[in-house]
Amino acid sequence: MRLHLNGRELTADPAGDVTLLDLLRNHFGLTGTKRVCDRGECGACTVLLDGDPVYSCVTLANGCDGQRVTTIEGLATGADAHPLQDAFAREDAVQCGFCTPGQLMAAAALLAATPDPTDDEIRAAMSGNLCRCGTYPKIVKAVRRAAAAMRT
Amino acid sequence: MKKPRAKQPHVKQRFIRTTVEVEGRTEELVVEVPAFEPEPWGPDARLTHVGARAVRVDAEAKARGRSPYTTDVRRARQADAVMVRAKVPRGRVTRLDASAALAMPGVLDVLLAADVPARTRLFSSEVTYVGQPLAAICATTRAIAERAARAVVVEIEPRPHAVTVADAIAADAAQQPVRPGLKGNLLFGEPRTHARGDVVAGLAAADVTVTREVRTPCALHSALEPHSAVAEWEDNRVTIWESTQGIYRVRDNVAKALGLPLTDVRVICEAMGGGFGAKNYAGAHTYIAALFARRLGRPVACVVDRLGEQLDTGNRPASAQRVTLGARRDGTLTAIEMVAEVPLGIGGWEGGPGEIYHELYACPNVRTQETFAFVNTAAMAAFRAPGHAEGAVGLEIAMNALARALGMDPLELRRRNLATRDQKKDRPYTGNRLAECYAEGARRFGWSERRAATGSAAESTSASGAPAGRAHLRRGVGVAAQIWSTGGGPPSYATVRINTDGTADVLTGSQDLGTGTRTILTQVAAEALGHELAKVRAVIGDTASGPYAGNSWGSMTVASLAPAVRMAAEDARRALVEAAAGMLDAPMDALETINGEVRVRDTDRAMRFGDVTAKLGNVMIIGQGSRGPNPQDAGIVTTGAQFAEVEVDVETGIVRVVRIVAVHDAGRIVNPTLAESQLEGGIIQGLGFALFEERALDARLGLPLNTGLHSYKIPTMADIPEIDGHFLDGADPKANHVGARGIAEPAIIPTAPAIAGAVADAVGVDVLELPMTPWRVLAALERAR
Repeated sequence: MRLHLNGRELTADPAGDVTLLDLLRNHFGLTGTKRVCDRGECGACTVLLDGDPVYSCVTLANGCDGQRVTTIEGLATGADAHPLQDAFAREDAVQCGFCTPGQLMAAAALLAATPDPTDDEIRAAMSGNLCRCGTYPKIVKAVRRAAAAMRT
Repeated sequence: MKKPRAKQPHVKQRFIRTTVEVEGRTEELVVEVPAFEPEPWGPDARLTHVGARAVRVDAEAKARGRSPYTTDVRRARQADAVMVRAKVPRGRVTRLDASAALAMPGVLDVLLAADVPARTRLFSSEVTYVGQPLAAICATTRAIAERAARAVVVEIEPRPHAVTVADAIAADAAQQPVRPGLKGNLLFGEPRTHARGDVVAGLAAADVTVTREVRTPCALHSALEPHSAVAEWEDNRVTIWESTQGIYRVRDNVAKALGLPLTDVRVICEAMGGGFGAKNYAGAHTYIAALFARRLGRPVACVVDRLGEQLDTGNRPASAQRVTLGARRDGTLTAIEMVAEVPLGIGGWEGGPGEIYHELYACPNVRTQETFAFVNTAAMAAFRAPGHAEGAVGLEIAMNALARALGMDPLELRRRNLATRDQKKDRPYTGNRLAECYAEGARRFGWSERRAATGSAAESTSASGAPAGRAHLRRGVGVAAQIWSTGGGPPSYATVRINTDGTADVLTGSQDLGTGTRTILTQVAAEALGHELAKVRAVIGDTASGPYAGNSWGSMTVASLAPAVRMAAEDARRALVEAAAGMLDAPMDALETINGEVRVRDTDRAMRFGDVTAKLGNVMIIGQGSRGPNPQDAGIVTTGAQFAEVEVDVETGIVRVVRIVAVHDAGRIVNPTLAESQLEGGIIQGLGFALFEERALDARLGLPLNTGLHSYKIPTMADIPEIDGHFLDGADPKANHVGARGIAEPAIIPTAPAIAGAVADAVGVDVLELPMTPWRVLAALERAR
């Protein structure tokens, strides 16, 4: 199969039962995407598939043939951090950080579709991404901050 | 408590005995008195980095997915191990056959009871809870190991189980195999009773008494990063990457279990995905990784899956509390009595609900009795303010009931029973500004106004708080308070070295769970050195490089470690200044360090740190610091109050938390942003405890029912109210010379009781069982009808 992964053209030959999460972490060594529940319940493994947020732990790798996959490692296209990553750091929207990559990918998908979201829209779009440290208030602030930065 | 022996003249004793409070328990230990104690940073100290809103030093690495968590460790030829677990609560393994699993392609090895050292306590044939590890499989990939684990044939002859306290202590209950000589399946062989004064006389003297029976649920830590270990041997030495709250404790556990000298075990935890009390020791996964790695001669990872996490990594045990309070008409408490039952699981300790009843309010007559029973569920573990979080629910629900019986504002009742001295040990506090927390919280919340406009207080007025068409929605407000020992203490050590380019490393064997330890220690060291923040780096999470630091538990880390780091930095600074004195041709006492420069005071003569060290060549400037003993004649506590406003739908029973205001006194706050993050996190976990979280158990089958993150409900972003979390300005220089106390656990304690108080205020009836699910709210309304 072919994959447009973080802007690169790559090939892989995963077995039929290999998930996109395992392909990313184990085959390509992209460990920024986290495995937490492994059954589509927590959002920690969220990546973008052709721009849409998906749970990579319940997405079969073979089904992604020819598609565009963006992970946390590919969120920033240059050397500088993506405005969302910068905003998460500045607003302290990161405690233990384990859910952070999934939160960021969900936020990136939200802002691509809704550049100026209300707090309610942020909460609705990201309520599938669990955070046990309780960083949610700061995540809402960070998404707002990044949205403002990306609009200017 | 033993007092240090009288000092000999002119001889400072180097080692003395002292006491330290950890998770509500007092431990006596030997401590090394530091060579010098820096002058305390008082409330008016002018500080640059300490108290600043510095950005978390590892925030960008985490936001870029680059932080190396244990589950991300990838060593060459690394294999994966998984566990085979019991699916029944009690029985005896009669057959365990892994031959089919071993024959599967990619399977490398199996570990059975006969293969493991006794001290690991792995794989007992006596099954005592669902989820107990029975064997482990190692394979080239995790997917293969998981398939193979399912192919292991396990036969268990079932035996009668007990998952409730009543079943465990019944006359005909079978003995739980916890330890030899265990009496009645009880932790102490009998209920634990703590008492002061005379509760019977206190109740007799009361004008008003109230009694409430309150239940709190078994709650699961549910850290997102699972328990995990990667082990790699070289010669006879093992390196273990572990997701842990205590690298040194894991090192000691592994060395003891495997019979290794401490020199041969290195434990690393560079980034950590949450613990909340469940990751304080080496676990089955640690020993399994280490043993497989030795047998196979290749690195092995053992990462617990989510089912294992929810079944077998500790929990906050459930509690049933029967509370009776007595008070005079003016609200003065005359007696507090509480009787509790706590099903601990198959192991655990006395982290019970009783202690807060002795601490939070001034009262001469207090008696608590707690029955801690061993039952056939996974052992409890410390979970953020163990005991106090549960006890506060019972105590504060009863206080609210007492306020109603007295016709008194619940905040006023709390003010009238303020503890101005340590109630348990009859001594002063180093500082306790709870009265200010009440006042500031009430001001921020608008307590008087909101109380008049909501809940039962508004019922008698024409404005019931609900606009037309929303009569099914009832608003209410509640308040609850908190106390928790947060003095930290010895031993903790740190080294600060100034490199030849003037940058500085802080080395200590602590770890950062996500609390921000790495950032806090960097700020403290930069402050004490007089350095730029960006030139200081904290090197933590590796037993090979950092001297001993204790577990990150008991809200102890900053109060324990920051003074040691400060002392090490001041030690290094003195050496640097001494070297610079000759170069600047000025006496040492004329020199100061500011912003990475050594300056001659009141002149423009100065040298960058790097210029001083460059001239020294490879002469190393190394500062050593250690944590001295706490004052023994005063209690060190963090206190605070939280205020909640809720909206209850009396038709559906759904509770929505609208707003939480929290004000706490934790002494000096080293980084307000990080402190607020932790406070918000505690409040959100407390909200989950109040409304959603409960490990459901089928008592007849002994089976946990909700073993995933969908069915075990932790708060989501959609559940979050407006939160105003605030710390009083100030410092506690009597507690330690940095002036800081802990904040992690205090944050969760008052949240659930404040919400429970608000719900009772909204609907006019107590909901006495947590979590306050729609079903329980409706049932409480039904009973009140």
